[in-house]
Amino acid sequence: MPQGDYIELHRKRHGYRLDHFERKRKKEAREVHKHSERAQKSLGIKGKMIAKKNYKEKVQMKRTLKMHEESSSRRKVDDEVQEGAVPAYLLDRETTTRAKILSNTIKQKRKEKAGKWEVPLPKVRPVAEDEMFKVLRSGKRKTKQWKRMVTKATFVGPGFTRKPPKYERFIRPSGLRFTKAHVTHPELKCTFNLEIIGVKKNPNGPMYTSLGVMTKGTIIEVNVSELGLVTPGGKVVWGKYAQVTNNPENDGCINAVLLV
Amino acid sequence: MAQYDFKKITVVPTGNDLIDIVLSRTQRQTPTVIHKGNAISRVRQFYMRKVKFTETNFTDKLSKTIEDFPRVEDIHPFYGDLLHVLYNKDHYKLALGQLNTARNLIKRIREDYVKLLKYGDSLYRCKSLKRAALGRMCTVTKRIGPSLAYLEHVRQHMARLPSINTGAPTILICGCPNVGKSSFLNKITRADVEVQPYAFTTKSLFVGHTDYKYLRYQVIDTPGLLDRPLEDRNIIEMCSVTALVNLHAAILFFLDLSGSCGYSISQQAALFHSIKMMFRNNPVLIVCNKTDLQTLEGLSGEDLKLVMEMKSAALKTIPGQGGEAANDQDVLLTMSTITDEGVMAVKNAACQRLLDQRSERKMKSKKMPTVLNRFHVAMPKPRDQKERPVCIPQAVLEARAEEAAHEERKTEKDIENENGGAGVYSASLRKHYILADDDWKLDILPEFLDGHNVYDFIDPDILQRVEELEREETAVEEDGGDFEMEDEDFTAEAEKDLQEIRKRKKLLIQKHRIKKSTAESRPTVPRKFDKDRKFTTERMGRQLSSLGIDPSRAIERARSRSVSRKGRKRERSVGGDVLSQRPLGEVVPGEGFKDSAQKMKAVTMARNATKKRNKDARRGEADRVIPTLRPKHLFSGKRSIGKTDRR
Repeated sequence: MPQGDYIELHRKRHGYRLDHFERKRKKEAREVHKHSERAQKSLGIKGKMIAKKNYKEKVQMKRTLKMHEESSSRRKVDDEVQEGAVPAYLLDRETTTRAKILSNTIKQKRKEKAGKWEVPLPKVRPVAEDEMFKVLRSGKRKTKQWKRMVTKATFVGPGFTRKPPKYERFIRPSGLRFTKAHVTHPELKCTFNLEIIGVKKNPNGPMYTSLGVMTKGTIIEVNVSELGLVTPGGKVVWGKYAQVTNNPENDGCINAVLLV
Repeated sequence: MAQYDFKKITVVPTGNDLIDIVLSRTQRQTPTVIHKGNAISRVRQFYMRKVKFTETNFTDKLSKTIEDFPRVEDIHPFYGDLLHVLYNKDHYKLALGQLNTARNLIKRIREDYVKLLKYGDSLYRCKSLKRAALGRMCTVTKRIGPSLAYLEHVRQHMARLPSINTGAPTILICGCPNVGKSSFLNKITRADVEVQPYAFTTKSLFVGHTDYKYLRYQVIDTPGLLDRPLEDRNIIEMCSVTALVNLHAAILFFLDLSGSCGYSISQQAALFHSIKMMFRNNPVLIVCNKTDLQTLEGLSGEDLKLVMEMKSAALKTIPGQGGEAANDQDVLLTMSTITDEGVMAVKNAACQRLLDQRSERKMKSKKMPTVLNRFHVAMPKPRDQKERPVCIPQAVLEARAEEAAHEERKTEKDIENENGGAGVYSASLRKHYILADDDWKLDILPEFLDGHNVYDFIDPDILQRVEELEREETAVEEDGGDFEMEDEDFTAEAEKDLQEIRKRKKLLIQKHRIKKSTAESRPTVPRKFDKDRKFTTERMGRQLSSLGIDPSRAIERARSRSVSRKGRKRERSVGGDVLSQRPLGEVVPGEGFKDSAQKMKAVTMARNATKKRNKDARRGEADRVIPTLRPKHLFSGKRSIGKTDRR
């Protein structure tokens, strides 16, 4: 059986076929036509994928061409403005600098007191109760309808035990319980898989907050010890708030943005 | 003891290709239609099936790859080391490990999402969950893209490794670069290895096979070794070292006596001593190559001393055998691959040494007695001292003698062999022809004569026929009669007249055919198609007079009927009947109309009935229409559902 670089060896010894280069050239030339035929004749999803790929290439080509074209048009050039530079009419004024460096924790405490938060998603779509809960019939004749099953993602703490099944009104199925969230740091632009400590506030109502339901816009508290944040005072920060940015029941995971 | 074949590993697809393959499979092989109105359990099942199917496919393909690739620990240490040298064992294991992790991750994704799908209460939710699941699986696969590319690269290289049977008798050839190892391999086996004057022509191991005493031996050619410490060796040399260390084989150490390889004998001796640790229990032979340039006897004193040192070191590898002098020849051999002297001797010596060693080993092994027990050569015991020689009957002896005598006859085969063999000599088949005159045997028969194939006219009774013909001819000549000639020879004028007559005849036939169709049914050529104005009354007059008829009345009639005449009404009124000047609608008592309206109606009907027929030879509504049989919209374009095999 052939061993080693037998193809190159054969080529070295015997050279190429007499018509090798011509065939190669013609085959490559035919490729263009075949490509076009495939693009025109493909149906369905395959045709769409081919069309998409071709479109991308077309856009790319157009961009490069445009870049390479020399344009004689004049463009406005913005010179970089230096930090602290002041326009001419403001010269000779004494600007007062009110710079008080406040620590992050104090800021947070103040915000907490005020109850006001600057969040990435200020408004969310309100979720109706019938969307949030599914009615479960119980009783011998299945006529009682006081039980509800939560259909959205929930968080229950680590020491959670259910109430006796006979008395529990709100059922949080274990399949919909999440313990981890994918949290993005807005400045670092990277995502970490962090544990959830608790649900702070659900914009749809305090009942949902107490149940631990996580929908879009919910503020949750996550364990950020792996980020290694340290307060100016020297203490290690291990819990921070984050806001949920997706619909966890549709995606099967919780994506959140860290509130810094 | 196994023959390793790495060609059977399936092709490893790239990351993107794998995703495409699996997703398109899912799209084709699972049901595709589901509606919002379907029962929720059906919706759930539909999407769960897709998630499961995708996971199964991913897992299958990754598992196949992981299992096809050999595990470095499980294979023979020679191949294990070789893989380590070539591909770096750690990288290899890591890549396979990554594939394994990916496989597990995909399994976990499938479990999670199938669990979540159970809680899906709307089509949109189930669909989003399925989308998220497939997307995650694809992301995992994208991440292992580099590993897949690396494994594909490794697979391609592995497929071209020589398949060495680690248990078969093997001969290993080693030495400095350019000493003639590959040429030796080419000489004794059918392996066609490249031989070039520069060093490191051979960059990897090559295998050839040769026979000795009905046994098949593997001969392995290695790349040249340089005298360096082990850490400094590059990959090519490490291949060679791996083979030396791991394989049990007869080792032929090649020595170049002339130094034309670029390394002096002292350098080669140094190399030998540095690698002699690796020889261990293997039989070693020192082969001095290129004796056509420099013989062993012609060496200088120092070089000879070095060679003898090597020989003594090699002798030590012979496992404690007495009588070193007997084995002297087998340890140090000379040969030249160019002149072919001593090549077979070297091969035989190496094979013999190896054979001896292997048989000895087999004898000493535990299995031997059990095997020996099964052999028993039975010899009949002599019952008396009488000798019983071979007995051949007399008839057979006579027949043999006769055959030997008969051999004097020369057969065609003998003639052929004399004259150069099968391809060179072609037997003359003509020498046995039976002809009236023997001189005709070598005559060349013509193939064409007067534009005919001669073979068409060759007949067994051709001679007879020729005779008949001759007889007829002579008979006719005597008669002096004229034959019926079929074709007369026409003069030129007669030819011309003939053509004329034929043309006229054709025209007449055409005209007759036109006339057969009545004037009512055949179209007359309207004036607008008569641009040349050929059809004038003068022409008609001329034609008629040429036929001998007076044309004047016909011309008058034609002119009076033509439309372009002006003032016809006036004319008519001048010469017309006064009595017939009445208003159109007036009821005449004898006609039978009730009132003027009825008469008008009758007049209109009469007029409509006598409308002039359209003889413009244009298509009307009653004429046969040939529709477009292949409308474009039915014969081109794509179909949104179904195939376009039939239209």
